[in-house]
Amino acid sequence: MQNLRQAATEAFHRLGLKQRHLGYEELSDLEDTTYSSEPQPHWFHTLQVRRLRVQRSRSNSDPLGGKSFEQEFQWKTGLQFGTATSYLNLEKLGEGAYATVYKGISRINGHLVALKVIRMKTEEGVPFTAIREASLLKGLKHANIVLLHDIIHTRESLTFVFEYVQTDLAQYMTQHPGGLHSHNVRIFMFQLLRGLSYIHGRRILHRDLKPQNLLISYLGELKLADFGLARSKSIPSQTYSSEVVTLWYRPPDVLLGSTDYSTALDIWGAGCIFIEMLQGAPAFPGVTDVFEQLQKIWAVLGVPTEETWPGVSELPNFKPEWFLPCEPQLFRNVWKRLGQLPYKTEDLAVQMLRAAPRDRISAQDALQHAYFNTLPPPLMHLRDTVSVFKVPGVRLEAEARDIFSPGRRVRPSLTPLTKCW
Amino acid sequence: MEVEPCENAVPTNTNPCEASESSSNADNKTHFRVCRFIMETGVKLGMHSVPVATACALYHRFFQSANLRVYEPYLVAMSAMYLAGKVEEQHLRTRDIINVCHRYLHRGSEPLELDSQFWELRDSIVQCELLILRRLNFHVSFQYPHKYLLHYLLSLKALLNRHAWARTPICETAWALLKDSYHSPLCVRHPPQHLALAVLYLALHSYGVEVPAGAVEWWQVFCEDITNSDIESIICELLQLYDMEAKCT
Repeated sequence: MQNLRQAATEAFHRLGLKQRHLGYEELSDLEDTTYSSEPQPHWFHTLQVRRLRVQRSRSNSDPLGGKSFEQEFQWKTGLQFGTATSYLNLEKLGEGAYATVYKGISRINGHLVALKVIRMKTEEGVPFTAIREASLLKGLKHANIVLLHDIIHTRESLTFVFEYVQTDLAQYMTQHPGGLHSHNVRIFMFQLLRGLSYIHGRRILHRDLKPQNLLISYLGELKLADFGLARSKSIPSQTYSSEVVTLWYRPPDVLLGSTDYSTALDIWGAGCIFIEMLQGAPAFPGVTDVFEQLQKIWAVLGVPTEETWPGVSELPNFKPEWFLPCEPQLFRNVWKRLGQLPYKTEDLAVQMLRAAPRDRISAQDALQHAYFNTLPPPLMHLRDTVSVFKVPGVRLEAEARDIFSPGRRVRPSLTPLTKCW
Repeated sequence: MEVEPCENAVPTNTNPCEASESSSNADNKTHFRVCRFIMETGVKLGMHSVPVATACALYHRFFQSANLRVYEPYLVAMSAMYLAGKVEEQHLRTRDIINVCHRYLHRGSEPLELDSQFWELRDSIVQCELLILRRLNFHVSFQYPHKYLLHYLLSLKALLNRHAWARTPICETAWALLKDSYHSPLCVRHPPQHLALAVLYLALHSYGVEVPAGAVEWWQVFCEDITNSDIESIICELLQLYDMEAKCT
């Protein structure tokens, strides 16, 4: 399964912000000695910034580093947003269907950024996915949505400047195989649903949820990324570069050919990711086609009928005779980890992974689910742009396994160290 | 392709005040013609109502700040249609846009040869698309009055006498009025809900259909923040548009 995950990560590795975890080995070694006098893991990516004599506060994902903009701006006067010379390319992070992503540094304020350079096709102009992504993200300001800082126009090209986030959930799960710490899953899930609730409230669907599109900062902040890569009217099965798009996170109604989908589409994807974080393996890893993918789902939920899902028989691809008869299973029998955790974990998964879209819980309601009761109550009343890690007591726990430091537990999260700067 | 000269050469008036007024009047006429061009070529290209509305909205937003004497309006219109296709995911090919537009502007002419002139024109469309994106700062997806109008019509249908509804083409009229409103920058100046209510109001009045009176006016039920004068000013602008149509033939 490990191999599968890795292969998948590479195969679906479409777009950047996906860099190696260079830092982590050294980091945990360094950490072993003393707690805060030694160089610390997350200094790693701040080193270059320090060389540039800029004091960073808090996280990389905080656009202004918690300082007033004027102060930061002193750093290099005369440079403005929106011009290419204001950013320095550091290294290439990845290549996608329509863009190349570089790690960069802003010469205006010294922050690390991800520079997404859009490839313009002479005959087609700006890719429509880029237009969608920019026009959507412009209006979204939320702690769990990747922040679009700036757009650089030149005569021939277009570059989007995003906040730099260290890793993504796919890499995080690769690094910590065998399922994540249940406490961390809860924090990730809360942030995922918080981001979804925000965009759904604005009538925006993500449509392409998968671990690769959920960025994770070193603190554990989760951010939805890759907006507008999926098309709205028809969800793509193939991109223009004939890369296969995974079906694993696609709900049964869409697999059955429904085009009348809504926010429940993203809830299904989030539910699959929930199971995957707990279990350490994808919930429904179909391999070949839509029918195999559906069969995987029916193996858990049972083949739907008009009684369990009114209207299902009218969907274009619904051909009950093509499916093997399946009885609904208890989730805890399919995914063993659920059986080891309190019942409310399974209950939330059940409510998110309902076959009929209208039966699925909304992101808003899911945030109120008893599963999240153990989190500190102030989380429920955060302003949109405030990270959940601002609430005292919210921090990641050490994962049980780490492939970069086998046989040894990693020190608990890096959160308490932020006071160093 | 040579695009028709736009109406810039306005005979200069002696009175400076009147001159600016007549120049803005001429601008409005140009915009009206170009929007009619967008709608007619949109139909020929098989575009749906919403992408056509997007193209017009993009065009109007662009010329909200841009000067008509600096940018060729028909080129902006062609790029706006191309961009609208991308935004609303009804993709159009530049080749089709060029051919249809060429035919519109030069009736009865042969299709363009695939020569350097054609490629230059295509490059212009692509460049101009980038220009629109830049000027609008990527604010290219809008809220549309169409869905509000549909919702209002359905609610109203339940409220009205069935026979009165069947006898009068309220739906068709309101829809046509809404489509026509895109000839002017109404969509830029008014919220989509207000626009939808105003066309519905005008359609009902045109056919003398009375809505049963309640504690508040029927339109206040649909939209709380609209006033009678909002509706009146939108209707006034709409009627000027039909006045303009007569002058623009």
